[in-house]
Amino acid sequence: MATDRTAEVTWHDDLMSGSGRIDSVTSGAIGGLDVDWRARSEDGAAKTSPEELIAAAHAACFSMALSNGLGQAGHAPEELKTSATVTFQPGEGITKIALGVAGKVPGMDDDAFQEAAKTAKENCPVSKALASVPEISLTARLES
Amino acid sequence: MTIAPQPLGGIAESGHRHTDSVPAHSLVLVPRVQREANVTWEGNVARGSGAISAATGAFDALPFSLASRVEKPDGKTSPEELLAAAHAACYAMSLAGELAGAGTPPDHLDVNATVTLDQVEDGSHRIVSSELLARARVTGTDQETLERLAQSASEGCPFTKLIEASATVTVTATLEGDTHGD
Repeated sequence: MATDRTAEVTWHDDLMSGSGRIDSVTSGAIGGLDVDWRARSEDGAAKTSPEELIAAAHAACFSMALSNGLGQAGHAPEELKTSATVTFQPGEGITKIALGVAGKVPGMDDDAFQEAAKTAKENCPVSKALASVPEISLTARLES
Repeated sequence: MTIAPQPLGGIAESGHRHTDSVPAHSLVLVPRVQREANVTWEGNVARGSGAISAATGAFDALPFSLASRVEKPDGKTSPEELLAAAHAACYAMSLAGELAGAGTPPDHLDVNATVTLDQVEDGSHRIVSSELLARARVTGTDQETLERLAQSASEGCPFTKLIEASATVTVTATLEGDTHGD
């Protein structure tokens, strides 16, 4: 079954001096988020950007995929803390995504955790959609 | 300042604040930008839940779960919804840049992006498409020109570039009648 998620954005005026707003999304979870070029390409200044939203999507997707893999191996995680950092080079595009995860996973050894994290990185739907990013790195750490 | 009518790269470079005094070839010095998000997740995939926060603080601790991702959202976001928001925002900026480059900056753009996650033959989920709908209020352009610029804007949007390797990106742009005020 296909699942659709929609977002609405309005924008006024040109790219450099104009500004926009992410008005609403299907779930209603976010809305009224301002965006503009300066916040995107220079100082974030409390405003979100496409790259930050991509980071959020990727970190969330990776976390779910890893919890799935760990659960299937009989070691559902107590907690996963994931970060995603998207590097945007204006004029070039998105050049790198760095994923980092720290997991509390009872009964799992580090080798198995590293392997599960690698599999999640390769197989989560957002990773597959973003497979043309030149570099996607992963650092996984098992916490006791 | 002339903004070259080319994809976002060109817009980004020509729009840099030092453009007026810096020759074009040195604009590779535009600094890299990093944006970070953090997620916590507890439990297995079917029953566990997570929370998403943006490093800028623009949003914080947004809850999400498998159910909110593939069934009814029930007020919770999902990776695909965040990608839809990213694509709509990316595309709106790109289209604003294209229109400004053509000498007709928009009075107002409404962009709607719908990202579709589907189950494929092997049972796994894939992001199969992102559909962009733009309504533009622009003085001094016509529907045909808008459609051309709308296509260029998608090609110039970094997010389109990334996902079109594995998903279908469609663009529909409509020119709205010139009106005064909102």
